[in-house]
Amino acid sequence: MDRKRLASFRKRLLIFLAVVGPGIITANVDNDPGGIYTYSIAGAKFGYTLLWTLVPVTIALIVVQEMVARMGVVTGKGLADLIREEYGFRTTFILMICLLVADLGNTISEFAGLASGMSVFGASRYIIVPLGAVLVWALVVKGTYRFVEKVFLVSCVFYIAYPISCFLAHPAWKESVESVFRPSVQPGHGYLYMIVGLVGTTIAPWMQFYLQSAVVEKGIKLKEYVYSKWDVIVGCVITDVVAFFIIVACAATIYASGHREIRDAADAALALRPLAGHAATALFAFGLVNAALLSACILPLATAYYVCEGLGLESGINKRVGEAPTFYWLYTGLIALGALAVVVMREQMQVPIILLSQVVNGIMLPFVLIFMLRLSNREDLMGAYRNTRAFNAVAWVTCVVMILLTVLLMGAQFFHTVPA
Amino acid sequence: METRRCCALLWEEAVIYFTEIQNLPTYDVMGAYVGRVVDLGIDPNQNALRIAAYFVETREKKLVYVPREQMQSITVRSAQTSVTRAEIHSNKTFGDLLRVRKDVLDQQVIDVDHRKVVRVNDIDLEIQPTNGHTELRVLAVNVGLASAVRRLLQGLTAKHTSRKISSFIPSRTIPWEFVNLIEPDASRRLKLRISYERLARLHPADIADILEELSRDEQRSVIEALDHETAAQAISEIPTEKQAQLLQSIPVEKAADIVDEMAPDEAADVLQELPPETSAKLLADMETEGAQDVKDLLGFEENTAGALMTTHYVALDRAATVENVIEAMKGFEGSVESIHSVYLIDTEETLLGAVPLARILLAPARTPLQELSRGEVRSVRPETDAKAVIDLFRKYNLLSLPVVDDKQHLQGVVTADDVLDLVVGRR
Repeated sequence: MDRKRLASFRKRLLIFLAVVGPGIITANVDNDPGGIYTYSIAGAKFGYTLLWTLVPVTIALIVVQEMVARMGVVTGKGLADLIREEYGFRTTFILMICLLVADLGNTISEFAGLASGMSVFGASRYIIVPLGAVLVWALVVKGTYRFVEKVFLVSCVFYIAYPISCFLAHPAWKESVESVFRPSVQPGHGYLYMIVGLVGTTIAPWMQFYLQSAVVEKGIKLKEYVYSKWDVIVGCVITDVVAFFIIVACAATIYASGHREIRDAADAALALRPLAGHAATALFAFGLVNAALLSACILPLATAYYVCEGLGLESGINKRVGEAPTFYWLYTGLIALGALAVVVMREQMQVPIILLSQVVNGIMLPFVLIFMLRLSNREDLMGAYRNTRAFNAVAWVTCVVMILLTVLLMGAQFFHTVPA
Repeated sequence: METRRCCALLWEEAVIYFTEIQNLPTYDVMGAYVGRVVDLGIDPNQNALRIAAYFVETREKKLVYVPREQMQSITVRSAQTSVTRAEIHSNKTFGDLLRVRKDVLDQQVIDVDHRKVVRVNDIDLEIQPTNGHTELRVLAVNVGLASAVRRLLQGLTAKHTSRKISSFIPSRTIPWEFVNLIEPDASRRLKLRISYERLARLHPADIADILEELSRDEQRSVIEALDHETAAQAISEIPTEKQAQLLQSIPVEKAADIVDEMAPDEAADVLQELPPETSAKLLADMETEGAQDVKDLLGFEENTAGALMTTHYVALDRAATVENVIEAMKGFEGSVESIHSVYLIDTEETLLGAVPLARILLAPARTPLQELSRGEVRSVRPETDAKAVIDLFRKYNLLSLPVVDDKQHLQGVVTADDVLDLVVGRR
């Protein structure tokens, strides 16, 4: 009997491993250099007190991503395809332009993160950024979907650098774990801004497009949907566990040693050195570089998928360059521009572009979320896999909260500097 | 001068785009406002090129129908019916029609002419005055940049301005007869007479490319609508894992018929990809002979000659003549194009020789095959590693290679196309 159960468990595990990928990757890209900086500053400024926000963040992420993955599996079409079929060409086109602008800004900030992460190791940005760009470009242009996905998954494993780095910082474990389940609010707008920043950056429009297209390109079958769901859940949980370790590492060191201002994620890495040692710093910076490379790859990819689907052109990593020229040109162009901006521009010049991309992201998010909710409730599209009542309630609340926070975050960015 | 004006008029009024008709204000015979056009319907059972009905939305958001006979005139500015508003309101709904906005605009369609899948930006219609009323004929679907620009400007500028602007931009249209709609619902497909006749005439490899562009439901709908043989040939051209996905999404009987039509080695590859219970079901549903051929191949390890070979070959007794070869070819079950050599065997099926087809062509009809056969035949064992097979093909420029067991009994033949697939990594 037990042997039978073991065999069936093994079989299920094998299917899971075959399906796993899109959900974990998409969630992990949420911890891009911008995300890592946000978590670092949360820990550095407020210690363990903000850890509780990770619980709602994880739930929100799971709810939204599960919906998208489900749409991908059930319809076999990308989100952009569905939006085009449902809302027509103009809506799709305007979203497309917004996404292009936002993702160009995002790509610039990923490469900036790569440059600052490597500066911890004393490498020059003039060498590192072009090198990183070529690496990221070659991976997708030369690779097949399966290979590229494997590389992404390995990159997700490298986030283990943060937990290790955190252990080296010797934090107060008991206090930190308790803080996760103890919501607290401090007076003062700095704290509120920080909450808005933490939650508001969790869900970005491009993620939905990437996840759905990846699920479709992977060709996950309806029968495997349950595993796909777990792919999403595991991915979101892992991502926020990593976030937990980032916050705790910074809280145990930078916060504990008296308030310290940190300018970017590389600063946080350097601040660990006197408190947790060289290894902790190196690991922290390595995690940053890895995150930057992964997201520098996936953001342009998501954009290329989206634009091609919207215009009805061929797209996909499995296609050859000749079969999907626009797809590859978009991907190449975004990476080239993003890398070039970091190499050529001074930092003050990058800031307005990155800020603009944040704003555009914020403007787009409500539309994308509402489209998603409406699409996933359509019976002719989703059949038995429509949202349930309970799910809808949770999803709508999530989306409304997300939209409000995004609006607040945008407002905050104009009147007050908060990390983005 | 005269002709130019006439052309301009024609250009203005002869062709109208669907996006210009969308929201066109409609008036009745007395000039009273009826509503706005929201969609057009085509009845393929009557005439697949003609707009049969207009769907008009009134101010009260009610949908009314105007059959084509009641449409007096259509211009870029407005439409006028030949009956009163009250009559229009009393019109009955139509049965199932092909809806231009719902089924065509912004949907993916197959462009049979260019052998790819495209998204429709707009539909070109021709205005035809016909005995006392106006008819619209569907000319083409628009997929180019010009129509995209027109869509973006829709409602922002006057229609003439949008036309002017888009006329400077290259436009790409697909004649309506080359458009294949994809309708996942089988009963509706039948009702609307959506057939894939034109698609079925393409080369299987092109059909396979098109299939790969479609989402799962769309793939299923196309496969279900193709005849077994075409479907089998097309499915043979796509990567094995995708074949498995496709076959799992269609009803078992249909899948079995398709697998039956596939070459035995291809069929075996697919069945190995499928979950065991599904393969068993398929094998049970296949015709006994085909199923046996496939079963013989299922036992072999992957990446061996046995897994590569097909059991469809022409083998004749050593006493056979050129004439017999022609008869045997006529009675051959599989695809004759894959035959490069004829094998000579004895009653025990022991491989004795091989004769290339080309030499048979050049020989007189009565020549015994033995005379044409050249000494030793190169052959491999079923367990021979695929790499070794590839090397033999490369070294001796082979087109086919017989596979024999330890007693020299002919088991099957590996053909060059399978080897090529292996080399470029399609399996």
